[in-house]
Amino acid sequence: MPIRAENIKYVYSEGTPFRTLALDGINVRIDRGEFVGLIGHTGSGKSTLIQLFNGLEPATEGKVEVDGTQVGEDKKKLKLIRQKVGLVFQYPEYQLFEETVEKDVAFGPINLGLTREETDHRVKEALELVGFNYKKIKDASPFELSGGQKRRVAIAGVLAMKPDYLILDEPTAGLDPAGRNEILGQVKKLHEVSEVSVILVSHSMEDIAKLVDRVIVLYRGKVHMQGTPKDIYSKADELERIGLGIPQIASIVRDLRNRGFNIKQDILTVEEAKEEILKEVRRRNV
Amino acid sequence: MKEYIIKIDKVKYKYEKNTDYAVNGVSLNIKEGEFTAIIGRNGSGKSTLAKLINSILLPTEGKIYVKGMDTSDDTKLWDIRQTAGMVFQNPDNQLVATIVEEDIAFGPENLGVEPEEIRRRVDEALNTVGMYEFRKRPPHLLSGGQKQRIAIAGVLALNSECIILDEPTAMLDPSGRKEVMETLKKLNAEGKTILLITHFMDEAVQADRVIVMDKGYIKLDGTPKEVFRNIDEIKKYGLDVPQVTELTQELIKEGLDLPPDIIEVKELVDLLCQ
Repeated sequence: MPIRAENIKYVYSEGTPFRTLALDGINVRIDRGEFVGLIGHTGSGKSTLIQLFNGLEPATEGKVEVDGTQVGEDKKKLKLIRQKVGLVFQYPEYQLFEETVEKDVAFGPINLGLTREETDHRVKEALELVGFNYKKIKDASPFELSGGQKRRVAIAGVLAMKPDYLILDEPTAGLDPAGRNEILGQVKKLHEVSEVSVILVSHSMEDIAKLVDRVIVLYRGKVHMQGTPKDIYSKADELERIGLGIPQIASIVRDLRNRGFNIKQDILTVEEAKEEILKEVRRRNV
Repeated sequence: MKEYIIKIDKVKYKYEKNTDYAVNGVSLNIKEGEFTAIIGRNGSGKSTLAKLINSILLPTEGKIYVKGMDTSDDTKLWDIRQTAGMVFQNPDNQLVATIVEEDIAFGPENLGVEPEEIRRRVDEALNTVGMYEFRKRPPHLLSGGQKQRIAIAGVLALNSECIILDEPTAMLDPSGRKEVMETLKKLNAEGKTILLITHFMDEAVQADRVIVMDKGYIKLDGTPKEVFRNIDEIKKYGLDVPQVTELTQELIKEGLDLPPDIIEVKELVDLLCQ
């Protein structure tokens, strides 16, 4: 069962001079178990779209379905939808508030009315899924942790709700490279060991290239392109035209090809680029 | 010889008594007109250093001089902050007014600048950052990159000679980051001293000088080429190097004859296509 968005339109500031059509005829589908990257310039509609997915905002037109249930049709079902579609906001560490990591992660399950036993079990599982040693971390104050660790605690808080879909909005913003790798490495592992679908919203083309199965590119409220990272990043000029960057490796490959280098177009890693360049250089030197 | 606009002399700083030094014996001089990038993992001391320069924090030991003014001299506080203006990470936390031009006028108004002079400075600052046509807009309806350019214009309206930016692009998309970097390069070309703290190596590459901090110490200091060629060391400090530098060094290991300090795509492409 997927998340399905059909013919979505979303207007904000209706009736004012700032009326904006944030989403304009969006059709997308996210299947169970997928790892999808959502990219687009600021104001392209990414954040609006993910808020429609879990019913934080109602669509102006069109419908969103989560596993067959239409979002917003029956208000009583919103709670279930929000449990199924877990949303980790930007800078989620600002939402940590409890004295200990364990209490913070337990907040959601307790509010779901779960038993003490089930709550404890979920907290332990969620913290381990994001790479913590449960015993070592549970009594720590969330405020004493590093930036990357705080974020992992915040993600664990959403995982403890056992979502089927996990949406991460810019999970690495403001982190240093080591913190970025820490978060993304854990998300990747999480996706591998659980059946959760992950939707990663990111400005980092390098991160998207490394992780996801499919990329959805939004531009001015519309789905501009969809495809595998290799498909998408081989359209370097087009991505730059719509205000997005490309991984540096992709721009090296593009420039070399433009200058007559006979190498593959769809290269995303340093390793692959090295192999291809060596082949071409050696061929030329023969 | 250009003057040093910032002189940092054996500075140590700790936030609380029983903690480690956040800045642990740093000496550093910044020349007028220099574009310096400071990189380092979270907690390496780079933001603390910026706050020390701006006199938001005072050194536990050592001295900092901004244009000859001691940052621990109370009477010079406003002159120091006017000389070295600061721009922070989150654009939404530093804009105060409901209209763009009023926001930029806020600083000079508080300094008691004459109204005509304020008008002139605001217009000039807006033009410099390319935001003049947005002067009547409410800031909250601007994009992140535009908001940061407004924050930079606010510093320019104070006639600051030096602009210190603490991760100004962390919350921006690629085109917003580009806008901010282009604005900074333009200001630098016009003579402003720029001190940019960043987690993005592609931004650091564009500076004249890169300083790498770790655990409160300065570990590397040099041109981008001198610094980024030390891939293993940079990675040890929890940082990255540009992919092009990494690729070049991999190719060198395979026997290709290339310089180890390539930091820009164009350099590598030109050499390979010779």
